[in-house]
Parts: sequence; structure tokens; C-alpha cells
Amino acid sequence: MLALEDVHTYYGNIRALRGISLTVQPREIVTLIGANGAGKTTTLRTILGAVRPRRGAVTFNGQRLDGLPTDRIVRLGIAQSPEGRRIFPRMTVLENLEMGAFARADRDAIAPDLERVFTLFPRLRERAAQKGGTLSGGEQQMLAIARALMARPSLLLLDEPSMGLSPILVDAIFKIVEDINRRGTTILLVEQNARMALRVAHRGYVIQTGRIVLQDVAAELLRSDLVRKTYLGEK
Amino acid sequence: MGARRGLGQAALVAALLGYPFLDRALGVQTVHAVSDGMIYVLLALGLNIVVGYAGLLDLGYAAFFAIGAYAMGLLNSPVLGSPLYGHVWSFWLCIWIAAAVSALLGTVIGAPTLRVRGDYLAIITLGFGEIIPVAIRNLGDVTIDIAGWRPIERLNLTGGENGVNPVGRPYLPGVPFETDPISWYFLILIVGALSLWAMSRLQDSRLGRAWMAIREDETAADCTGVNPISTKLLAFALGASFSGFAGSIYAAKLQAITPGAFEFQVSIMLLCMVVLGGAGSLKGVILGGMLITLFDRVVLAEATFFTRWVGRGLGVPLLASADLTLWRWFFFGLGLVLVMLLRPQGLVGRRVQPLVVAETDDAIDLAPPPPPRIEAIPGWLRERAGHGAAAGAMPILEVRGLTKRFGGVVALNEIDLVVPRGGIIGLIGPNGAGKTTFFNVVTGLVRADGGAIAFEGRPLAGLRPNAIVARGIARTFQSIRLFANMTVLENVLVGEHCRLRATVPGAVLRPPAVVAEEARARKRGREVLAFAGLAGKEDDLARNLSYGDQRRLEIARALATEPRLLLLDEPSAGMNPRETETLTELIGLVRRELALSVLLIEHDMQVVMTISDRITVLDYGTRIAEGTPTEIQRHPRVIEAYLGTGYEPDPVAPGGAR
Repeated sequence: MLALEDVHTYYGNIRALRGISLTVQPREIVTLIGANGAGKTTTLRTILGAVRPRRGAVTFNGQRLDGLPTDRIVRLGIAQSPEGRRIFPRMTVLENLEMGAFARADRDAIAPDLERVFTLFPRLRERAAQKGGTLSGGEQQMLAIARALMARPSLLLLDEPSMGLSPILVDAIFKIVEDINRRGTTILLVEQNARMALRVAHRGYVIQTGRIVLQDVAAELLRSDLVRKTYLGEK
Repeated sequence: MGARRGLGQAALVAALLGYPFLDRALGVQTVHAVSDGMIYVLLALGLNIVVGYAGLLDLGYAAFFAIGAYAMGLLNSPVLGSPLYGHVWSFWLCIWIAAAVSALLGTVIGAPTLRVRGDYLAIITLGFGEIIPVAIRNLGDVTIDIAGWRPIERLNLTGGENGVNPVGRPYLPGVPFETDPISWYFLILIVGALSLWAMSRLQDSRLGRAWMAIREDETAADCTGVNPISTKLLAFALGASFSGFAGSIYAAKLQAITPGAFEFQVSIMLLCMVVLGGAGSLKGVILGGMLITLFDRVVLAEATFFTRWVGRGLGVPLLASADLTLWRWFFFGLGLVLVMLLRPQGLVGRRVQPLVVAETDDAIDLAPPPPPRIEAIPGWLRERAGHGAAAGAMPILEVRGLTKRFGGVVALNEIDLVVPRGGIIGLIGPNGAGKTTFFNVVTGLVRADGGAIAFEGRPLAGLRPNAIVARGIARTFQSIRLFANMTVLENVLVGEHCRLRATVPGAVLRPPAVVAEEARARKRGREVLAFAGLAGKEDDLARNLSYGDQRRLEIARALATEPRLLLLDEPSAGMNPRETETLTELIGLVRRELALSVLLIEHDMQVVMTISDRITVLDYGTRIAEGTPTEIQRHPRVIEAYLGTGYEPDPVAPGGAR
């Protein structure tokens, strides 16, 4: 469904990605784990066209994405919940969610989808009329994910969805991730919380300084020495 | 390198000194234009303080230019009947008066704009820039008539539409200011050089750092101990005083001033100079100012001359009668568009591009952050800690019945919370429970609707955030708020701001006390960075740091304010397990060694349960539980609202921070 082939991305002279190759099959949850600054967010930005790779190819359902503007890529069925809760602070929660559905043609299906995300995140229903900027950090995180879902993407990119969430919500978010996936959405999940990410994912990639150093089915990665030592904090 | 630089500077000085004589020898007569250009450069440098350093967009800056010029005219012109006129020294007195009047008005104008930023501020300054020329036009004939009594009759304050002509020239024995443009050139050169010297010293001082901190993030600056009100007012006042100098010299040089010389387009042209050269860069502003003036005064005139000559030669009437000077705004606009497209940071832009970082090796990325060491704790922080210990058993922070409403939502409902001296108190709760709001109220960012906060026994009510920092409370932010375009060391130095004393004269003249203070501040800054594990990164821009380093820098900046209470808002968010472990050790260490009290918002239960003495749990703005970590882990309401039934208490890690 999604394939990156030997992707090199630079910021100025800084090599952020040094030849990333990965694939995501339809209906999979694939996770990308790695340290801060390893290139996880850059990978997502490259897929979405926010930065252009200097070398390599990104394809989605056989179509080249690299070089396309971001709005075209979103219309092809990819949506992202960005890291750092980039919501529209001066619009209400409801308006934020409606913006998520901006590029959709099936206007009739939007209302049921709105109902669905409110069921997933009851807190957002309570705060539907509130300005996005007045939500707490964790609530903004939920809104960012919900907004991405409103695009009804076939591929959902999640950047650190559990960051800043309470333990009960971290559990809830990962349940929601599994739930979304069961309903047919393919997910590429970038996470610091490697333990949880590998529990819900089918397969995973470990990225270090812009390179994939390990890839396997999630259960195997959970058992690997590298992952356990570096990303799970086990001694 | 040093020798070559010295050689370059010597060549520059020689060129500046020799240029007017060369100009005279060649008979090209550009000294007038260059002198005027230098006046505009001086103006642009003043504007750069407001726009480039403090980041306040000022669209009416020419008003201060006008005020300086008219102050000179009012005091030193025969047509306006000045008491100063005719004294041989009056010009030299008047430039100072003009600067002082401009600074005063800068403060007056600055005051109402302090609450607003960005677009709103620009609109207010735009209005001010329109008001001044209109006022000048209408103050040429003032009569006050109160029922027949006329205390003031037909007073000519500004010369109205006609302006002021002549204005008294400076008097200096043996210098022919009346006849010789070269004397003006050197006068302006000296004033300009002195201003530049003062500005470069200001830029690299406690005050310059405060301006840049305000530009980068006003809220964070406030919470780091920088008073945004006085800092912004100072920027306005100083920026205005430089334009007061420029305006008064301009008036005396031109010998005639009219309201038309200070219209909106002058403000825009000055802004163009700053933006074209590079806001915040002294070199850039000088370059921008000189390029625009010389282009306007010399290049366009010469190009017109040349075009007409070509037109006549070819017999094209359109070219023969062309006047390119009418197209000046077209060329300015075109130049600005090109610069913004090709070099958005300006020709000599300062620190906007990310630094070119050396290729990192794979090993560096994986190396765990250096663990904090007891020996690395800066001695001066220890000293400060000693002062606090004397206060005895009184809790460091005592919050009673704290209430905050946002519209109909009760964000905090009668919250009680006590932080004992040297204690670590965890504050947990579901997202949106009001934890960060609690921090915002304690640090003065948000005003409480009810309840009392006492820090070391004294109430904090009504204090500004920067005053609360000065009292001894420092904080970090949930979403990192560093001064992104300042270096790592500068970030920490802003933290020390409220402990430093340098004033404007001190920052410019640098007496030994200020030099020593600055050296000590830098030394302390390096020490606190080393302690936080950031040694060797002092000169990197904060924005170029990795995520974990940014988190650590925020803590280092907070420590640099010499706090006795530290509020940490989700310090481990986004950190990997190893980084989190180091952070936990660091928090434990500062508590143990510096007797620092900590209030900690955190979702990583491993961290909270390991290092907290007691934990307060909020839900929907209400305190639902308070107790030791063990009690909290078993508390049914906490499990229901926060931990979830899936939560298994981790055994306390051996060798943890406690």
C-alpha cells in the first residue's frame, strides 16, 4: 500500500534520513520506533510531502507521492495526527473536526463519522463548542487524532499519539488505534512508548540516525535485545 | 584570522576617512547623499531595536524622526522664536534635548501598546505615525480662546505646512558647517559610530538578551524573570531616542523641515531597510540603509541621466524624457519581494538558518545522556540553597481553597495543596483536570478567582510572573518553550536575568562591576549547563537541539533563576526510558543536594511513584485524593479516573532517585 524505497531527506546540509526503506500492507498496523531525533517525524513529513526527499521514492497504491503537494497527498487518502498537537486553536472543537473532513466528497457520511469520533472520545463531545486552544494538552492530542480520523483516510499516520496522556487514556488511545484498524484503516504509528506500540502493531521498524536498523513482526521485536535495552529501558 | 580582520577594519576606517576627500578630488559630489544615507541608517538602527531585537512591529517610526527634527526646530530656529536660538552651543544641547523628548514620547506611545502584539501593535503605531504629521501641520497657528480670554494667541509652534526654515547650525570653532558638506559627513559619521558602538554593546548585554527573549516567546520570558512591560518600554524609548538624534541632525543639516518629510512612506522605507538588510543584525541594517538611500539618491538619478542620453542618441522620445526616479517605489517593492523570496532572513540575516551541524555518528545518537553527578552541581546554586534552609519548618508553598473559572467551566475548585520545604509533590490527574491551570495560577500567568497562595509565608496575590520568579519559583512548560533562535548559553543567561543588575548606562559603558557581573553570569551559565548534561552545546541554537536536550535546557534555564521551588510540567514527556531515568536522577539530586522543593506534573507513573513524597490527584478541577504513592496507587477513585484497572504498580526500581 505504502512503500518507501531508499529515501534520503535533508534539512539544509543535515542528513535526516539516510536511506529509509519500509512498506505498509493494507489493513496493517506498522510501528516506527526510535530515539528522539532518529528521523521518525521526518519520515512522516516526507510521506506527506512536507519535505522533499533528495533521493528515493515514496509510492502509495503504486502512485509516486514524492514531489506532490501535501493537499494532493491528503486527497489520495492519507491523514496525519501531527506531533505536538497542531490543532486550530481559535476554532471550536466541532469546527476543528469539520476541518478534518474538508477534503471529503461524501458529505452525507460526515455526520455519522462525527458521531463515531465523539463515541471514541466522549471528552470531545463535552467540549464541542469550546475553542481548541482552551483545551488541555491531552485533550488537544485527542482532538488531533479525531480530526485526522474525520478525513476517513485509508492510511492514518499517527505521530506520538500517547504523548502527554494519562495512563488510562494511553490504554484508551491504543485500544482506539486497534479499533480503527479493525474497521479497515491502515496505520503507520510513530511512538516513543515502544512497549505499547509493539503490543498493538503487526510489524515494526527500528530507526536510528536516519536508518532502519531492525525490522520484524512486532512480537519478535519485543523480544529482541536491542529493543529491550534501548527502547524498553530494561537492564 | 585576527590579523586579517584587523587589516580589514583598518581599511574600512581609512576608506571612511578618505572617502569625502576622494569624492571632492573626483568632483562626483556624492557626500551629501552619503551623509543623508547615514542619517537614515541611524534611524534604521534605532528601529532595529524595536523591530529586530524586541520583535515589535512598528509602522509609525517616522513619527519619532519628526519629533527629533521639530524639537531641534522649536529650540533652535529664529522663525519659531526659541529661547535657545543664537547661542553658539545650542545645537550641541538641542540634540540631547531632542533625544530625550523622543525617548519620553516613545515611552508614552509605548505604554498603551504593551498589552497588544503583532497585528494590533502595528495598527496602533500606524495610527501614531499618521497623527504626528497632522498635528505638526495644525500646530502652526494655535489660539486658545476661553470666553474672550486668550492665554495663547496665534502661537507658531511648528511652522504649519510651511515648516521651519532656517534651523540653527552647529557651531564648532574652525569647522565650516555653513559651507562644507565634509564637516557634516564627519559629524554624522561620529554620531553614527558612537550609536553603533552603544547598540552593539546593548545587544550583547542583559538588556539585549531580554529583548530577544521577549521577541522569541513573551510568556516564557515572563516566566523566566524578564518583566515584559519595562523591557518593551525600554526598547521603544531607546529606539525613539536614536531617531531623536537622527531627526535633530537632519533638521540642522537640511536647514529646513516640512511635515511632508515624515509621512508614512518614510516609516515604510525605514522598515524596508531593516528587513532588507536583516532584522536584528547591525551590519545588515547598515547595509540595507545604505543600499536603499544610495539607490534612491544616486543610482536612480544617474540611471535617469543615462537613459535619457541613450534615448537622445537613438532618437527614442520615450527614453529621452524618462524619469526613473518616479519609479522608485516600484524598484523598492521589487527589491523587497526578491529579497523575501530568495533570502527571507535579509541580506545579512542573523541566525535564522539552522546551523550546519557536523555529521553525527551513529554512536552519538545511541549514547545515553550523561548521568547527573553530585560534583557537577554548581557551587553558587549550593550557596543559594543554604540561604533557604534557615527558614525552618514552614512549608515552602501553601495553597488554600484555590478556585479558577473559565466562563462556565470550573477549572480549579477549592484546591488545597502544600509543598513542604525540600519535598517533591506529584500532581497527577486525567487530561484536562486542571493541573497546568494550577501551575499557571501559581506562577501568576492566570489570576485566581478565589483562594490564597503563600510562598514562604508571604502571599503571591497580584504579583506578575516575573516578580514571582524573582521570589524564587521557576517552572518549565508542557510543550517546550525555549527561546528558539538564541543560543543554549543565552537561554540560561536569560534565566539569570532577574539576578543581574546591569542598567542601560552600565550595559553601554561597561564599568568593572558590570564586566565582572557578566563574566560571573556566563561562568554560572556554563556550570548549570554542564550539570544538566549540556556541556559543549553552549553555542548551539536552542532550536537545533534534540528533543531531550531541549527538555534538559528548559530545566537548566529554570535552575539558573536560582529557584527554591521548581514546577515541572511533564518533564519526561517524549523522552525514551533512558532519558527519563537520567531525568529522575537529576530531580532527585537537586532536591537532595540543593534542598530544592519540586512540584511535578507527570504522566509517567514510574517517575511519579518513584520520586514523589506525596501525590495530589485532580479530576475535573477538584482534588479527589491526596496521599503517599502507595496510598494513591490503591485509591479506588484514582484507579477509576486515572490509572485504569490495567495499571499494575511497578515495584520501586532499586537504585532509584530516592
